[in-house]
Amino acid sequence: MELNTTKDAFDRVVKKQKLSSSKSHEVIDQVGHEIQQALAQIVSTHDPTSLVDHKTILTELKVQLNAISPFHQLEGSQKELNINLSKFPKLLEKTFNPDISKAYRNVDFDYHTVNQIIANHFYQQGFFDFGDSIINEAGEPETAVAKFQFFEMHQILEAMKVRNLEPALRWVYANRRKLKHNGSNLELKLHSLQYMEILEKGSQADAINYAKTYLAPFAFLYKEEIMKLMGCLAYRGRLTSSPYAELMSPSHWEKSTEELIQQFCSLLGQSYNSPFGVAIAAGFEGLPTLLKLANVMAAKKQEWQAMKQLPVPVELGKEFQFHSIFVCPVSRDQGSEENPPMLMPCLHVLCKQSIMKLSKSSTRTFKCPYCPAEASVAQCRQLYF
Amino acid sequence: MEMDSLPNGNSATPNPSSALIPTAAAPPSSKLNQLAESLKLEHQFLRVPFEHYKKTIRANHRVVEKEVSSVISSVAEAADRDGMSRDEAVNHLSSLVSRLQGLKRKLEEGSRVEHLQAQRCRARLDHLESADAQNLSEWNNVKVKRILVDYMLRMSYYDTAVKLAESSNMQDLVDIEVFQEAKKVIDALQNQEVAPALAWCAENKSRLKKSKSKFEFQVRLQEFIELVRAENSLRAITYARKYLAPWGPSHMNELQRVFATVAYKSTTECTIYKVFFEPKQWDFLVDQFKQEFCKLYGMTLEPLLNIYLQAGLSALKTPYCYEDDCTKEDPLSQENFRKLALSLPYSKQHHSKLVCYITKELMDTENPPQVLPNGYVYSTKALEDMAKKNNGKITCPRTNFVCNYKDLVKAYIS
Repeated sequence: MELNTTKDAFDRVVKKQKLSSSKSHEVIDQVGHEIQQALAQIVSTHDPTSLVDHKTILTELKVQLNAISPFHQLEGSQKELNINLSKFPKLLEKTFNPDISKAYRNVDFDYHTVNQIIANHFYQQGFFDFGDSIINEAGEPETAVAKFQFFEMHQILEAMKVRNLEPALRWVYANRRKLKHNGSNLELKLHSLQYMEILEKGSQADAINYAKTYLAPFAFLYKEEIMKLMGCLAYRGRLTSSPYAELMSPSHWEKSTEELIQQFCSLLGQSYNSPFGVAIAAGFEGLPTLLKLANVMAAKKQEWQAMKQLPVPVELGKEFQFHSIFVCPVSRDQGSEENPPMLMPCLHVLCKQSIMKLSKSSTRTFKCPYCPAEASVAQCRQLYF
Repeated sequence: MEMDSLPNGNSATPNPSSALIPTAAAPPSSKLNQLAESLKLEHQFLRVPFEHYKKTIRANHRVVEKEVSSVISSVAEAADRDGMSRDEAVNHLSSLVSRLQGLKRKLEEGSRVEHLQAQRCRARLDHLESADAQNLSEWNNVKVKRILVDYMLRMSYYDTAVKLAESSNMQDLVDIEVFQEAKKVIDALQNQEVAPALAWCAENKSRLKKSKSKFEFQVRLQEFIELVRAENSLRAITYARKYLAPWGPSHMNELQRVFATVAYKSTTECTIYKVFFEPKQWDFLVDQFKQEFCKLYGMTLEPLLNIYLQAGLSALKTPYCYEDDCTKEDPLSQENFRKLALSLPYSKQHHSKLVCYITKELMDTENPPQVLPNGYVYSTKALEDMAKKNNGKITCPRTNFVCNYKDLVKAYIS
């Protein structure tokens, strides 16, 4: 985005402000100087019979000060500054969107709910003091937020950062069944990390013992992985130049940490990413389109506040696609239970209503709108995404 | 299915080999477009510190004008006065000299503040300029924090706001100082004190008048009501004559209604007048003040957080979000978010967007959808993976239907 014009305009404001400010100094100095001169004059007139008494000096000073006309002097620079001061906000209004609340719908946006969402966001990210702080200041009940669940997770993660796997393993043991149900082999991954740590820093006997106790139970399901891990024994002390160097990579720690977060959140019934973060990020991408739309609708005097569905799509990145949405390429209708997507023999897909229309309510065969193939309703079958 | 995505955290990790090839770093134009569009939303970000700066400049200038003019008229007055002794004249002029010195010190202090505020404006311009496609995710993280601080300041959660700003070292990017000014007035109003609110009105008189604000009138009415509540009718009437009467021509109806309360006591059951004595009138004043305050600084009337959150929820909202099997990754699977989105419109799609049930990945030309003989559709990636692990057998995870990988057909979805 072109910001140079804005920057230049701002530089002009600052320049004029400096000018005006130095002018003020100058004027004050001038006035001060005249007064000091007059003062010196009065003090120096020791002779009480002197013709120039203090009264005359004061009157002269008054005339002098009027001649300086300080306000006239200040006026010029102040005027130029004022012009720039009122110009700059106008430029901002032109360059930027001056009111991004145009697409805002004036509905009850319950702030308790928002506060709880924010607190949970902080807790999920491990910023417990911020979470506590907002709960405190806003006076929200602590029961409304998922602090303690996330607290355990972040204790585990903190420990993992200093390569202490104990809390993580304790959690994995406690949830072994659920993890298995999720198809996660996090337990093996954590034990492998521990084993590699021992191999690198401890004795050979310790490593073998550890493998016997903790890795052996996985031998049937994960033959290859265990073989590789045991192979490392042959290269103890020079693993970095061995065929198994890859197993030393810190990326294994990162990946396991990530999987732990994923599994932990999943067992909590929470998402991996902070839902607040996701919703706000969607807002960053979607708001410009919504604002344009609101402008167009305002120009056409259409109602923004009450509509049930946006009239145009707001395109979001694929990380925001959580649901399969089928849109019939013929009718542009969104698929639904009553109007499901149907696969034609030519493998193109239309919605049921479109197929009914093309086949004149299943009374005849029809041509696919996308290829020369003919089809009958009986040949079409429903799809489930 | 045209779409573009934010760079994820991984793509930001420096890759020494690709950094040498300029073409590899060139971002797609759609992303740059998106960035430019989102920067355009930052009006408030630049406007607020500028208004603050402007206010300081004006205040400093007024001080100079006032002091200089009072010094000059003081000289004139002394010159015109008869019978002033020499010593008196010396004292008088000396006091004026020190007064001017005091003014200069004040002016220097004022310039220092002006300079800091100008720097803040610059810091924000630079911050906007620093956003590019490479650091976008980092930049957006800061933006989320800015929006959070804005929300907290508007809701008067000052401690949390300050903590968050300090920990992220972004004091220049948020308006904590500006809101200190509001805090004084709000705290006082909550204690049923009007003096700071009236002082604030006086300070911003010309601008409030320009926007036809009646906030001062409302504060005055409340003060009047408090006098009536104290059953101090005489004072109430004197007060009304002095402070309410000037608003008569423009707000006669309200004035008359409030004035009629003199005839009642605060315990009145008459519904028209009862409301004036309710304590929530003070909360109403606080809300009113917040609105005026935001307007004066060029802020949106709603917290930025509400605006972005609503936009995000509208864009995400589909009928599927409210089904029981909605994925946890969708914010709208959570009760809190569903509540907020309740009266927002659904999003609209012009093109199919298909997400694989198994991998949750988007199905597109690179990862096309394949149909099982029972009509269930999954991504090629997921099905290939399953076939590899199970000797070419495919089991539908939703129906337990079993088939061979070669029984699948690719569906063409436009």
